[in-house]
Amino acid sequence: MQIRLAGIGGQGVVLAGVILGEAAAIEGLNVVQTQDYSSASRGGHSIADVVISKEPIYDLIVTKADVLVALAQLGYDTTKDSLRKDGLLIIDTDLVKPDREFIGAPFTRIAEETTGLALTVNMVALGYLVAKTGVVKKESVEEAIRRRVPKGTEDINLKAFRVGYEEGSK
Amino acid sequence: MKYPFPVGKSDFIQGDEAIARAAILAGCRFYAGYPITPASEIFEAMALYMPLVDGVSIQMEDELASIAAVIGASWVGTKAMTATSGPGFSLMMENLGYAIMTETPIVVVDVQRSGPSTGQPTLAAQGDVMQAIWGTHGDHSLIVLTPATVQEAFDMTIRAFNLAEKYRTPVILLTDAEVGHMREKVDIPNPEDVELVYRKLPANEEEAKYPFGDIHGDLIPPMPIFGKGYRTYVTGLTHDEKGRPKTVDAEIHRKLIERIVNKIEKNKKDIIEYETFDLDDAEVAIISYGIVARSAIRAVKMLRSEGIKAGLLKLNVVWPFDFEMIEKIAEQVNAIYVPEMNLGQVYHLVKEGANGKARVELIPKIGGEVHTPQEIVKAVKRCEKCI
Repeated sequence: MQIRLAGIGGQGVVLAGVILGEAAAIEGLNVVQTQDYSSASRGGHSIADVVISKEPIYDLIVTKADVLVALAQLGYDTTKDSLRKDGLLIIDTDLVKPDREFIGAPFTRIAEETTGLALTVNMVALGYLVAKTGVVKKESVEEAIRRRVPKGTEDINLKAFRVGYEEGSK
Repeated sequence: MKYPFPVGKSDFIQGDEAIARAAILAGCRFYAGYPITPASEIFEAMALYMPLVDGVSIQMEDELASIAAVIGASWVGTKAMTATSGPGFSLMMENLGYAIMTETPIVVVDVQRSGPSTGQPTLAAQGDVMQAIWGTHGDHSLIVLTPATVQEAFDMTIRAFNLAEKYRTPVILLTDAEVGHMREKVDIPNPEDVELVYRKLPANEEEAKYPFGDIHGDLIPPMPIFGKGYRTYVTGLTHDEKGRPKTVDAEIHRKLIERIVNKIEKNKKDIIEYETFDLDDAEVAIISYGIVARSAIRAVKMLRSEGIKAGLLKLNVVWPFDFEMIEKIAEQVNAIYVPEMNLGQVYHLVKEGANGKARVELIPKIGGEVHTPQEIVKAVKRCEKCI
């Protein structure tokens, strides 16, 4: 499965990709995670690709994504052509105005309301993605979050992830 | 020995990180470098890990000094490595030649980015192949390894140290920004399961008198270590078997350089590693290495599904080069395609190997993106039609 996460620098898109990849690795799946970002550390586009498969992975570049998660309009505009026709588009419904079918929720607003921090939007969206696709288990992601987020922020990130997961399970 | 990272299990890490961890498992205890995208993560990891394994990681003033420090560390018996990218690799060329001439086991990692000059720092390329092989001046040989996955980056780093020690030579691990920065699942072995090679040391004082002499008939002289009781003279000038400069004697020069070249050339079979996919009955061969080989494997499958009998030769070592093997493949197939992220480098080696027995076509791509399998398929089909 080819999953592409797209947003703007500062939204934690790459970290979300790394955590999703780590979760797949924990489950023993093959996984490749790559990233593409402009040299600006804030505000430029930011893309994380995660390819997960039981088979060896040869396709490194996401050319036909099965899932695209767009957290900002710039991220969506840069990547929308890489989502295959019947692919799943997940968006932050406050921030992205797509021109095709989609599902989603106001992830940034949910993040602010839940943790008080807009920058946990990546975990909210990740929870939603995992609930909707079942690509990896919830518990694997939680383990990956504990391993990967900065020390002392585990609880707040887990909280954001779980809220997103609940939102996606509705 | 306690390692500062998990061993005997798998982990999800970047290629650069895998190289650093593998180096430590291979016994590397000295790292000198200068930060550069996309190789900086190797330095970051070494700076973190080295003090925890009683090793040294040091930032030098530039890349010239980095490789010089690594050569010095090797002469006191420490396995040593440096890592850089194109601009820094260019600066290392002079001392790379010094390492070859003094037969110093070192590992140099080049995480290739687009050049020339500072080029595209964050994007991958395969533009340094010819530089890795021929960038330093004078007649010489060395070993160049090309990993395609994070696991291979890990495994080949260990192999690079082993080959460096076995053949008393610099070994280049030639990777790229894509492998360096991507994360994959890597199986990290238990340290006791890692096979390690150490350089041959002089057995006695008599042997130590000939640090550059073929005293065992295997072209590889035992290497005396500074501080272990022997006096040794190390110079980049042409030297005799005892290491003394002899700069106008043609015979001494010829003997020395031919031995340095032949210790690699005559051990080709031991050094060269490759993999094949569907090559046995192929009518069209793709020859590829590094990151592009992954797209090439998919391309072979796609071509087969469309009725074109394609096969792949994936080179894990681009120098020394098995020209004879390429000729055999050329006798079997109608055409050979060489996709690489440059405007043609290994292509020329393949063409020489093919020796006119098959058409050899380059599939070049520059600008920072890896060939997609579709691009390779399209290029092969376009050419196969035009015949």
